[in-house]
Amino acid sequence: MTQTPQRFTRRSFLAGGAAVSVAGMLGGFPLLATGKEQVKLSFMYPVGVSGDINRIVSGMIAGFNAAHADIQVEAIYAGTYDNTEQKVMTSLGVGDPPGTWLPINSALQTFLVMDALEDLTVLARADDIYQDFLPGFLGTCISDDKLYGLPFQCSTPVLYYNKAAFERAGIRAAPTTWDELMSTAKALTVRQGSDVTQWGLTIGGGWHDWMFESYVRQNGLVPWTKDKVMLDAPEAVDALEFWLKMAQAGVMPTASTWQGSANDFMAGRTAMLYHSTGSMTNLRTSSPFPVGVAPMPKNKTFGAAMGGGPIHIAKKQPDAHKRACWAFARWMTNTANQSMWCKETGYLAARKSSWESAEMKTFVAEVPEARIALDQAEFAGAFLQVPGYHKVREYLKSALDRTLAGEIRPDVALREANANSNREIQRLLRRRS
Amino acid sequence: MRPLLRKHWQHLVLFPLALLWLSPLLWIVVTSLKTRTEVFDPASGLLPRAAQWTNYPQALSIAPFDTYLLNSIFVTGGIILAQLVTITLAAYAFARLRFPGRNLVFGLFLLQIMFPIYATFLTNFVTVRELGLMNSLWALMVPFVASGYGTFMLRQAFRQVPTELADAARLDGCGHLSTLWHVYLPLVKPTLVAFAIISVVTHWNDYMWPLLVTNSESVRTLPIGLGLLAKADSGADWTRLMAATVVVVSPLLLLFVIFQRRFVDSFMHAGLK
Repeated sequence: MTQTPQRFTRRSFLAGGAAVSVAGMLGGFPLLATGKEQVKLSFMYPVGVSGDINRIVSGMIAGFNAAHADIQVEAIYAGTYDNTEQKVMTSLGVGDPPGTWLPINSALQTFLVMDALEDLTVLARADDIYQDFLPGFLGTCISDDKLYGLPFQCSTPVLYYNKAAFERAGIRAAPTTWDELMSTAKALTVRQGSDVTQWGLTIGGGWHDWMFESYVRQNGLVPWTKDKVMLDAPEAVDALEFWLKMAQAGVMPTASTWQGSANDFMAGRTAMLYHSTGSMTNLRTSSPFPVGVAPMPKNKTFGAAMGGGPIHIAKKQPDAHKRACWAFARWMTNTANQSMWCKETGYLAARKSSWESAEMKTFVAEVPEARIALDQAEFAGAFLQVPGYHKVREYLKSALDRTLAGEIRPDVALREANANSNREIQRLLRRRS
Repeated sequence: MRPLLRKHWQHLVLFPLALLWLSPLLWIVVTSLKTRTEVFDPASGLLPRAAQWTNYPQALSIAPFDTYLLNSIFVTGGIILAQLVTITLAAYAFARLRFPGRNLVFGLFLLQIMFPIYATFLTNFVTVRELGLMNSLWALMVPFVASGYGTFMLRQAFRQVPTELADAARLDGCGHLSTLWHVYLPLVKPTLVAFAIISVVTHWNDYMWPLLVTNSESVRTLPIGLGLLAKADSGADWTRLMAATVVVVSPLLLLFVIFQRRFVDSFMHAGLK
């Protein structure tokens, strides 16, 4: 992945702000409504967090349609990320893709090898995109210095902790390093005989490969480039050895599920939990105890893999449609909408100007936890953007599971997963070229 | 006491079993009336402190469930009606008619049972699109109007019917269709009912295909509404998900309660054969 190092200056912020307000005003005028035919677009999106999301999205889109007489966007709820990707792929397969869609950011290379994405670099340079979007978030849409989408719903894993359990164990602060994580987890684990009644730590299963990449990043390595993975690197092996150590010390369950781990946390069966920022609202409002949120502890460095997804624009469509798609993607990611989206859902606003807005400042004052993930975002980057990431995730998850279950040594498991993954990536690249 | 026990001992055995089978349903209903913190808090006990009836309107406000319900009824009803006609005719042909290539064609039908439905998604998608039916209720029904499984089940049932009965009907002047109607169908009713239950439940709960071929809310079905509440990133919204689940399963439950005797009879018969 290529990060664009952008210095954030006062001037660029003001320029960005001005551009946003001008764009906002222009958006309100029916400038383009010159009696031409109305452009009809569809937008396929998944629902990641609370059930009201489809109403929020519909509301944003209704606002867009009302402000753009010449464009009509239809919002299409398409299930989970995987379902959405299948639906988009199917439409691409028959040569009739939707105008825009919202995949998980890992899908970038998968769509790029299908030549499905419109290059937005020029449009974005003429706009305030490079100035106002948080670089780590924008980076999830960049490949070879070209921009393919706008970050819309961003998340990272964070460390949730049960404040009541911390108090009972006499622990004041959340751990900030792996060593502290281990000792805190030990202090929090409660046993009755041979049964564990409260685990020290649970790493949300199902997405534990996502957490694992964060651990590898905390060892100072991004374990992939756009055409290969390095899952057997010493940094990765070291991370998995650390997991194994925690599992063998009996402070962490060897397996869990995504829903189940959140449920366990709310029921007090685990005192600390690695889960998505997207779960923040749910965990905060559904737990019968105060919930703390902390950045993921560091090892050599802080690090986090981004979750969530950008809005992609299809390449295979007329120019007028592409312009309309761009107007739409800009609308969904404008300052006001990103603030609102962040407050309502727990996803992170992708724009600096959103975080500077009065609305968000009040929100952060009320819910300081929302800020944690933003601070962590400074160290965050895209998650596993390789072609065929689905298969790679499965190989990696299987390696992690088998290691924790004690079936195989960490280095052997990762070497195997690495070989299988790279073979799959090469197969896809050969097929497309 | 003793005669009572002797007479009703079966109930003693069956009652705990019935409870066991009912428990998931009861749990769904109980959870649908809890507050969100009560769901996983072991300290708050099994029952909600105060029944949260507002979970229901809140869950139903997520999506137009009334439209979804009508669509589900229409689609499931349409599929089962079409299937009953096609499988009856096909099964009769395979069971009682002789024509060249019969075994080959029947083999192909059996092959269709062996393919998981996901394997045919793309080809079905292309077909539906070429028929111009995308994003309509017809798209939800067309791929399922025939059923290899149903044809197979019914063919086996038809073959059990003594040929003498059919011969007698023919002597009385019945053609193929009236033989089918007056002789075969009444005798295989249990099989038809058994197949109908399997088919209705399958299509009532189908999620992936409707998600793939529909875009507008006006043509979507109940499972898609449920999907909105079972979220990927943040853990499900259990109370509202359970409330919506109660609404989604209740039409099927109602149907079962109404036709209970017939269903049980038919399974007994289909099983005994």
